[in-house]
Amino acid sequence: MNRSFALSGDLAPPFVILACALAALSAVLLLIELWRSRRARASAFRIGASGLLAVLGLLAAVLRPVGIVSKGSLVGPKVIVLADASRSIDLPGLDGTRRQAIDRALAELDQRSGEVRYSVLAFGDGAPTPVDNVASPGESPPIAAPGKTARAPFHPRARLQSDLGAALEAIARAADERPAAVVVLSDGRLDRPAELSAGDAVKAALGALQIPIHTVSLADTAPRDASIRRVLAAGAAVAHQPFSLRIEIGCDGGLSCGDVPVVARELREKGEPTQLASGVAHIVAGRATVELPMTIERAGARILEISIQAPAGDAIPENDRRFITLDVTRDRVRVLHVAGRPTYDVRALRMWLKSDASVDVVAFFILRTPTDNVEASPDELALIPFPVDELFSEHLPSFDAVVLQDFNAEPYGLTKHLPSLARYVDKGGGLIMVGGPDAFGPGHYGGTKLAEVLPVDLSPDRKEQGTDLAGFTPRFTEAGRVAPVLAPLRALIGEDLPEIPGVDLVGDARRDTTVLLEHPTRKTASGAPMPVLALGEHGSGRTMALTIDGSHRLLFSAFAANAAGRAHGAFWDAMLGWLMRDPRFEPAVIDVRGGCVAGEDTTLTLHPLPGPQGEAVVKILRLGTGEVVATLKTPVDGSGAAREIAAGKLPAGGYSAVVEIGSGMKNGTTKSPTTRRDFACESGGEEWADSRPDEDRLRAIAAATGGVFVRAADAGQLPLPAATQVATERKVAPILPAWAWTLSAAVLLGAHWVVRRRGGLT
Amino acid sequence: MGRRAAVALITAATAGLALGSSRPARAFGEEGAFDPRVLLTGNARWEGVRTTAPGRWSKELADRTSAPARLGPGTVRADEPTLLAEPFALWGGDDAVLVLTDREVSGLKRFIALGGVLLVDEFAPEKGAFLRSVKRELARVLPEGSPIPIGDENVIFRSFYLLRRAAGRVEGPAKLEAIIRGGLPQVIFSAHDLMGALARSPSGLSPIAVTPGGERQREKAVRLAVNIAMYVLCSSYKDDQVHAPFLMRRRKSTP
Repeated sequence: MNRSFALSGDLAPPFVILACALAALSAVLLLIELWRSRRARASAFRIGASGLLAVLGLLAAVLRPVGIVSKGSLVGPKVIVLADASRSIDLPGLDGTRRQAIDRALAELDQRSGEVRYSVLAFGDGAPTPVDNVASPGESPPIAAPGKTARAPFHPRARLQSDLGAALEAIARAADERPAAVVVLSDGRLDRPAELSAGDAVKAALGALQIPIHTVSLADTAPRDASIRRVLAAGAAVAHQPFSLRIEIGCDGGLSCGDVPVVARELREKGEPTQLASGVAHIVAGRATVELPMTIERAGARILEISIQAPAGDAIPENDRRFITLDVTRDRVRVLHVAGRPTYDVRALRMWLKSDASVDVVAFFILRTPTDNVEASPDELALIPFPVDELFSEHLPSFDAVVLQDFNAEPYGLTKHLPSLARYVDKGGGLIMVGGPDAFGPGHYGGTKLAEVLPVDLSPDRKEQGTDLAGFTPRFTEAGRVAPVLAPLRALIGEDLPEIPGVDLVGDARRDTTVLLEHPTRKTASGAPMPVLALGEHGSGRTMALTIDGSHRLLFSAFAANAAGRAHGAFWDAMLGWLMRDPRFEPAVIDVRGGCVAGEDTTLTLHPLPGPQGEAVVKILRLGTGEVVATLKTPVDGSGAAREIAAGKLPAGGYSAVVEIGSGMKNGTTKSPTTRRDFACESGGEEWADSRPDEDRLRAIAAATGGVFVRAADAGQLPLPAATQVATERKVAPILPAWAWTLSAAVLLGAHWVVRRRGGLT
Repeated sequence: MGRRAAVALITAATAGLALGSSRPARAFGEEGAFDPRVLLTGNARWEGVRTTAPGRWSKELADRTSAPARLGPGTVRADEPTLLAEPFALWGGDDAVLVLTDREVSGLKRFIALGGVLLVDEFAPEKGAFLRSVKRELARVLPEGSPIPIGDENVIFRSFYLLRRAAGRVEGPAKLEAIIRGGLPQVIFSAHDLMGALARSPSGLSPIAVTPGGERQREKAVRLAVNIAMYVLCSSYKDDQVHAPFLMRRRKSTP
């Protein structure tokens, strides 16, 4: 409790000063008067003394002094504790895991909780957040740290980054009470600040906030670990073009590594991964870099598995294998166009393919059959042999798509290559079969391996599935009306389609196929309308079946003239684009928010195109086995608003998320348009790639900001700011009542008047 | 590639023989088949000995190549919507054509704009009146295009047969003429009376003599007609890079 005094209890300080000044002026004038009157010393003293007392009495009556009694307490400074919540805290640390070291450090800090006010936040990706412990009752409880803390064990949602820079920037920008210090609990293996100039980067992140940052290390030695520290693509990965993956291998903690074999493989939807390249890393001074040259034939998101063969004694096997999602771009779409004979339909498709600068066409048309009588010697002909074996064995992987247009497989030796063509689709190639008298059933494809990848059923009996020469006008299916792949065509011609001279007879659409156009009258054996245009997915590739040879009527006909012939280009541009997974023709875009880590909750974000409504069904398939590991559903309202879908915890590996919007159309056997996104889940991921702690970086951060570096066990010894006194209660009481001050002033003024009169002053 | 490809061709030939020799023109409803329709303008009529020529053209094409062709081609008028039914038309005559009507000009403009190919054949090269008048009228249809000579460097001369020069009923100039659009011939001018060489009487004989080369020259005219048809059906296929080394070697080896 404190006692104090104030001149006035109610007057503002300027008025108090003014009153004092007037009183002083009065006293000075009295003294001047006495000096000029030259009175006897005794008389002058009496007048002066009484006058001064009267002035003081008057001043006291005006101010009315008060007494103050106040109570207060000591308040500790705000100290923010930033605890590393990245996945690397589960790596070995000081006497256990780094997570346990955080618990110990927090317990040490808790012992001084009477002196400072702690605000414990978890940092990782973006702004720090309060510790959101997610340990569920079913999980094995994290080991509690020793000490007398009542704090729950540190077990927040795992972050996929360790971005201290973002956390400090958020603190510096915050509008609430500024901290007096920051304590960072980390292993020092941070995304930001970088290893070089860490101190300067931290000062820049803090900006005007000049406070010390104390750093607490969670680990001081590297574990015995061989790991894939980094995978870098040397330049952009372009389909069909050689490029290199640069792989950095680390070996620490006294592990004897020597030569470490490295293998890169590409995951496939079904079947064993395809080995792309291999090499040997020669470890020198704990690290090695190996370049793996490779060529990837398929564009899009490809899932690569990079693995090393670690020596015995490796403490962290999880970082011996990395899964990376490599976005392979495409320079030009390489298309193999094979036609059984030249027709106006072949001409139209060829002219479109050649007119598109982004398409690189290699064409082979059968211009002469063995029965044709050319009436000329071979030297007089401009014909070359059809290199069927070379094309469909050696060069097939170099094409992004194959177009078989009215092509009979049997006479030209293609039959024996149909299994490899099916495997080509399975591995991600695109296949278009265009109708004609020699396509589909009449083209000897029924009962072959290739028939299994087509989106429509083909009977092995050629007689059963021939052609129908009757003209007809195809009609859009329900899926065809909403499919983005037909949107450009429909924008030009609306609901109308030209009359088509005939059709190949095919069976039902295969399961999981999207039928966009159907025959108005012909039915399949099951009674469903016969497909005319069907899109399908098989393995990693896509296939398309167009059972007519009259799409050229979109280019050249009285009907085509209405759209200036542009409908043909719009149709084929979209078809080839869909085959190549062009986002323009996908019904939605799906991605994995924040990436996927094995054993952690995964969230998918669905961005549907505006328009399609209904229920979106997301199937997550495991690459390699094709097993459906999760089926998720979310409503789509047609506005195009993004939807987040919880996918749960997934084991390590490659996955494919296949989305179908508006499922449950009238025809239960076929599907709405679908799209897919391949992604990978890693056990260790980027945070486990380099298991070494980085105490030097922590020291640099502390030194640059005036903080102190300690290890977890010494966290209680940090020099935290002292507490400050803060008043909590204040009582003001007048020394005398107001009437007493007024009476005193009147008496003193009266006495002074009497003394003046006696002294001869008026 | 050579040896394996040759084996493949032999295999294909064997398989083809097994299929039999009869092969109908089999596009669905003959939709995509080559159809040398005769273009008529003004009061022109399609009559005379050359009326059999388009049919023979189709037959020669079907017999010699894998291309389907309509064996009974018809006529089409420039101001009819059916001009746009197919991307090829033959415009032949032996005398100057009348000035095209606006509807005919409009019809031909749409035909050309959609990518149609027009063969203009002079039946009386000695006079040349037809060709001159057609060029005059086409200047109204395609004011930005003018004919230029095309020789054996053009894809038409190697679309099926390797040809060194143009030929018809008359030997005429070695080169054809063409209006090039988008890098490709779209209107082809022949001053050789190609249809005269192709004409055939009901008895199967050729009613019009070919001079000065006789039957050998007629064969060259047929080959040119086949090449034109193949160009119409395949566009610039034989300009593809994959054919270049083969064709270059053959050009050098043939006299």
